[in-house]
Amino acid sequence: MSVIDRLCYQSRLRYVNAEEKFVYAILTLIFCVASRSFAVALIAFAANGILTVGKGGISLSRYCRLLLIPVSFLVVGTAAILVDVSEIPMDAFAFPVGDRYLTGSRATTMEALRVCAAAFSSATCLYFLALNTTMTDILDVLRKLRLPSLFIELMMLIYRFIFLLFETAGAIRISQESRLGDRNYRTKARSFGEMGSALFIRALSRSNSLYDAMESRGYDGKIRVLSQQQPPRKKKILMIAGFELILAVLTIREIWVRTGGHG
Amino acid sequence: MEKKKKTMADRETKDGQDWVIEAEHVSYAYEGNDEKALDNFSLKIQRGKKVAFMGGNGSGKSTFFLCLNGIRKPDKGRIIIDKRPVVYRKRELLEVRKKVGIVFQEPDNQLFSASVYQEISFGILNLGVDEDTARRKVEQVIEELGISPFRERPVHALSGGQKKQVAIADILAMSPEVMILDEPAAALDSWHTNKVRRIVDDLAKRGITVLVSTHDMDYAYGWADEIVLMHRGQLIGKGTPLEVCSDAEALKKAGLEMPAVLKLYGRMKQRGILSSDTMPPANMEELEDCLANAYERRM
Repeated sequence: MSVIDRLCYQSRLRYVNAEEKFVYAILTLIFCVASRSFAVALIAFAANGILTVGKGGISLSRYCRLLLIPVSFLVVGTAAILVDVSEIPMDAFAFPVGDRYLTGSRATTMEALRVCAAAFSSATCLYFLALNTTMTDILDVLRKLRLPSLFIELMMLIYRFIFLLFETAGAIRISQESRLGDRNYRTKARSFGEMGSALFIRALSRSNSLYDAMESRGYDGKIRVLSQQQPPRKKKILMIAGFELILAVLTIREIWVRTGGHG
Repeated sequence: MEKKKKTMADRETKDGQDWVIEAEHVSYAYEGNDEKALDNFSLKIQRGKKVAFMGGNGSGKSTFFLCLNGIRKPDKGRIIIDKRPVVYRKRELLEVRKKVGIVFQEPDNQLFSASVYQEISFGILNLGVDEDTARRKVEQVIEELGISPFRERPVHALSGGQKKQVAIADILAMSPEVMILDEPAAALDSWHTNKVRRIVDDLAKRGITVLVSTHDMDYAYGWADEIVLMHRGQLIGKGTPLEVCSDAEALKKAGLEMPAVLKLYGRMKQRGILSSDTMPPANMEELEDCLANAYERRM
């Protein structure tokens, strides 16, 4: 998580208007999921790769390593669709296991690959957003989308303090280890429990101090802050609109073919 | 014109002094704690003064600061800010918080946003100014405090000193008349300590009343117009640095040592190197001059 956080602050696309990036990522993601088409998935995958690595300036090796994280989930998820246990072998493949078969049909294989492609390209959409937009910018967009302010304020505070929580936990761990708190399983378990309770107490006292500090600046239950956004550019909006239009056409065609094929 | 005269007259109270802060017999105890954090504490501070608050941990400095800002309401006694007793209602409190700003000791307990820009804009927006004014003010403060080099970085990636600068900017953006800094140099390296001290001096030059709590006697002696000594919630000394530092008993009670300048001055006098009529120096430079003069006279 902190890797992605560091990367997005270095991205060359960081100062591009966040609404543009947000709309692009979310629409593309929706088309990927809705169409389950290889063409859309491929286009989205390529576009996100070009934007994140080419324009954003994140190194290719790092991008690939990050992409490997969702792959493990995909493999497990796809396997569940792909493979069936049955007494009758199906048309795509069949491996005998005892008196049954690990088998799959052509249709489910196709379906599994489609889901896999759609999910993977969707993941690249979210990566594009996460690697090129800072959390505070994303929160600005959500604010403009009129999400409940309670929700946004919670996200804002969590994002700010999760790093402090890690830091404090790390410091406690070091202090425990330096006193042999991890000598054996028993002390390890105890140390971990004590760290948990210490963290809880500190979080509580910290939140009290934070509340005092915010109140001293006139906090009245609503967090008002200025956002720092570049105005959206007409050219970019047109480019995004054009791109999404192509995806929309492909998606509609795909759905048309799929439903038309059955009816 | 007439209005202006009236406000000038307003500012002068019966005793002809322009008190910006008055605390009258203030007592405060934290819940579940028998010992009072503030015990019948009375103090007056003049507008535009540089005041150092000194005393051991738990002597009540921070609690008093929170009272000045209306965060803590005294159990007994009252606080008067700029001639007006603090009224604990929303609108009146906002007025108090506009006049008195606190920079907290631990920046991580003060900075709530991951964005420097958002962080600094929070207080001023709460005062109800429009966005354009707020934007201008935020930019101005960022420029003044030298925050530009790291303004685009997330708060969790800033160093302690940078966080401190942002914490000061938070308050400065609200243009307070009184600025309180609770141990501003705590846990800072000497470079950032000096930076923060320069900022504090700058604030004082602008006519802002600056209240600083510190454990650094040498700094307080050289910097402050007045030193306030606290011990267990009580006032045990107040006056010019020289006055307070001459009160050996109070210093001992507060667990403080005499500033190095005065110590050296005293020894030099004892040993006859400085003549007995030499005035006590206000800082190292003055002491150096005294010694140089004494040396020349002997030659």
